[in-house]
Amino acid sequence: MISLIIDGQEVKVEEGTTILEAAREAHINIPTLCYDEELSIFGGCRLCVVEIAGQNILKPACATVVQEEMEVTTHSAKISRVRQNLFELIIASHNISCELNCMTCRRASNCELRKVAEDIGLEKVRLDPIDKGYQKDESSYSIVREPDKCITCGRCIRKCEEIQGVGIFTTADRGPATEVTTFSDKGLGNVECTNCGQCIHTCPTGALHEVYHFDNVWDELNDPEKHVIVQTAPAVRVALSEPFAEIDSPTTTGQMVAALFRLGFDRVFDTNFTADLTIMEEGTELINRIENGKNLPLFTSCSPGWIKFIEHFYPDYLDHLSSCKSPQQMFGALGKTYYAEKNDIDPENIVVVSVMPCTAKKYEAARPEMNSDVDYVLTTRELARMIKAAGIDLPHLEERDFDRMLGVSSGAGNIFGASGGVMEAALRTAYELITGEELEKLDFEMVRGLPGIKKAEVEINGLPLKAAVAHGLGNARKLMERIKDGEEYHFVEFMACPGGCIGGGGQPIPTNEEVRQKRIDAIYELDRNKKLRKSHENPLIQKLYEEFLEKPGSHKAHELLHTEYKERGI
Amino acid sequence: MLEENFLMGEQLLDPADYDFPALKKAFNMDREEVIQEIKDSGLKGRGGAGFPTGLKWELGYKEKSDEKYMICNADEGEPGTFKDRYLMENRPLLVIEGIITAAYAVNAQKGFIYIRGEYFDSIKIIDKLIDNMYKEDVLGQDILGSDFSFDLRLVKGAGAYVCGDETSLLNSIEGKRGASRIKPPYPIQKGLFEQPTVVNNVETLSSAARIIAEGASLYSAMGSKNSRGTKLVCLSGDINEPGVYEVEFGAQTIKEIIEQDGKGIKGGSDLRFVVPGGVSTAVLDKSEIDIPYTYEDLEKAGSSLGSGAIIAVGQEHDLVDLMLNVSRFFMDETCGTCFPCREGNRQINRILRKYKATFSIQEKEIIQDVGETIRLAARCGLGQSSLNFINSIMEKYEDELGIKEVLEV
Repeated sequence: MISLIIDGQEVKVEEGTTILEAAREAHINIPTLCYDEELSIFGGCRLCVVEIAGQNILKPACATVVQEEMEVTTHSAKISRVRQNLFELIIASHNISCELNCMTCRRASNCELRKVAEDIGLEKVRLDPIDKGYQKDESSYSIVREPDKCITCGRCIRKCEEIQGVGIFTTADRGPATEVTTFSDKGLGNVECTNCGQCIHTCPTGALHEVYHFDNVWDELNDPEKHVIVQTAPAVRVALSEPFAEIDSPTTTGQMVAALFRLGFDRVFDTNFTADLTIMEEGTELINRIENGKNLPLFTSCSPGWIKFIEHFYPDYLDHLSSCKSPQQMFGALGKTYYAEKNDIDPENIVVVSVMPCTAKKYEAARPEMNSDVDYVLTTRELARMIKAAGIDLPHLEERDFDRMLGVSSGAGNIFGASGGVMEAALRTAYELITGEELEKLDFEMVRGLPGIKKAEVEINGLPLKAAVAHGLGNARKLMERIKDGEEYHFVEFMACPGGCIGGGGQPIPTNEEVRQKRIDAIYELDRNKKLRKSHENPLIQKLYEEFLEKPGSHKAHELLHTEYKERGI
Repeated sequence: MLEENFLMGEQLLDPADYDFPALKKAFNMDREEVIQEIKDSGLKGRGGAGFPTGLKWELGYKEKSDEKYMICNADEGEPGTFKDRYLMENRPLLVIEGIITAAYAVNAQKGFIYIRGEYFDSIKIIDKLIDNMYKEDVLGQDILGSDFSFDLRLVKGAGAYVCGDETSLLNSIEGKRGASRIKPPYPIQKGLFEQPTVVNNVETLSSAARIIAEGASLYSAMGSKNSRGTKLVCLSGDINEPGVYEVEFGAQTIKEIIEQDGKGIKGGSDLRFVVPGGVSTAVLDKSEIDIPYTYEDLEKAGSSLGSGAIIAVGQEHDLVDLMLNVSRFFMDETCGTCFPCREGNRQINRILRKYKATFSIQEKEIIQDVGETIRLAARCGLGQSSLNFINSIMEKYEDELGIKEVLEV
């Protein structure tokens, strides 16, 4: 242990601790901007500079390791002058003007610049804003970059590279022309971006956000000719309460449904229903592949970020992907066929809207092979915004149930939202379908939780079924390399975002380790409290097959619920 | 003026005509002895920071690693500095002999000489010389019949001033963006490709070769207590005979160097101030230059000896023009990583460009505040020293700049 003095207090910390970490342990707040505890140290913003006794210049607390008997001052008149001046410089480079100001910025409620301004007690801004004159990057279906708002802290660069192992961002040029951009300035839509949106979570400003669909959705809702149906992904209900701080319970399913009706949706359905359907199709596929010994391991295909990742980086393995569309797309396909047919509505007039924790779902919905089945995708953040803008008091709404037809689901559908959930849901069904016996214990604890790569072996009819789960594309890459090196599995679940969909790029900000764990706990609680916990026991899924699809893997199922992939190159 | 030059001299280009006195001597000494010799000489780094060379070698030598690197920093970019170019064009054998001597002392097997990209002649000469030295067995396996082997490669800079900073230079050699690294770890511990790395300036290494050849006592007998030996100075600006001169520390004042070596100010006009160590050092008014040319005397005067550039500036220049010129340089050359340096230099440039006959007190305040922020909080030496020139001018020539209260209309 190292003993040092911070602001007159004696602090004891582990060797190798930085001044910033030591100060936080001692409940002393040092402002930061380029620092993100999940990422490597950058030391660029210099807001965390502190005085160390005996040294002439200030040192960045984030990048300075504590030493025995060090005497650190984190707040003084000199430091305050420097921080305030630094902040003036930062804000001048952030291009605030009448057209581009805090009132219209979607990050206003959780902008880190505003927080830092408050933390350092900013008194004056003497410098004129600099109009950098950059163009917005609107080349992507999922993510927009507004370089004018970018303060070049490099967090997105590090997140994409260090956590996601993708690395589409880079720093270009030098001096005042220094900017964060994509390779050759091609734009997010023209590089290997997987659309996961993790960069949005780490951006301290409004420089990165999703491609907004809410305006289009308002238009559709206001069009009396249109029959607008909505589906909500499992991870949305455990996070939607976060922007409405007064809700204690992290889960708001009933209020969310009620709010969607209030917004004017004609029917409110549940993506959990098609999650159950995915298990039927994908489970059948797994059983077939194991019987035929072909294209094993089977890779899950629910996460569109993962799909684009494998299409770019591991195209040799595309045959391993399940041909199942994601639950979002299965819903879209059924909405415009089965639902339309049974309710005698012209599919032309049906508008399918999804609420997703995900930015990549916007890209997925736009893939040509998906046939425009899903018209618009809202992120959890966008839905929260619409609810607020409509004056709906979410915390005090009376709970409502999903519409039944495409809205009844099992607990297995719920846990799709957490890393390991698809695996667990599939194991519940595959075990019972193959053995014909009832599972004694439904909880597969070893595939749950936040470790980056998880493994399990389940004995089914004498076959030791080997399964693995990876979440976060950095972990996906690690696991793919192991598979390339010969590690053998039957079934592997891949999710692009850390924690699975609950940590998706469309979820409320902040999304960090603590928040992810809270959402995961909420998702498993939903599953635990349900009577119906296995996909194949969902009576409406059974009815769907009887009335419409015949059986899992049928010709019709293939036509509507399955898809294909393509090599995209790097 | 120096009676006999220590570093400067006739052209040394052909390894066949040179007998490598330093190397031959060094190979017959223990590594510790070579290091001790350099420590005894009192040699300090001539790139600008002035870190004791012997100590650096000792730290490098003590690092345990299978692979170590010796790097010669020849990315001479400080405006007004051209002494390394002189050495590479005229005394390149001394430069490379110094590199090999240092590599031997710290036990590095591989090395690079990183030359400023615009130094076409230096590059051509060193490139050819490295080839020839391999042919003469002065590079490669078992150099000059010793059991010491060392490989040297030339890397050309791509034009970024910041790459003269040693950690940025390492990034550049590795093919990365030229931006400083966070220290610690220092290059001595984890430098090029994460291996222990010693980086020395061209003049430092050339001096080291001469010191080993001639013995430390000759060198340490010259100069003052804290500034031993000789220094190459680059005289430029409004000077009658600009060029590279070798001076003994403390033997002349700055004024005398300008008058005796540089033959005074051009056109007989009056000197206004001197930039004593390159544009990242504070200027000295003509009333302040009657001080011995040593590290310690310049520091006492509130400036620094820097890289050895002495730029003499006469009365006829416009101060704002000069500040704009320097400001433009630093604004363009910051690597863009740390906010104070990138945004601070940009803002200073904007304020200077707005200048119309007077500065307001508020503008002066901003320049001072940004100056303090950069000096205290920038990430590397480039940033920390980038406003020394401008702040010193603003301070020393306040009246001439017409800084006064401007009432808001």
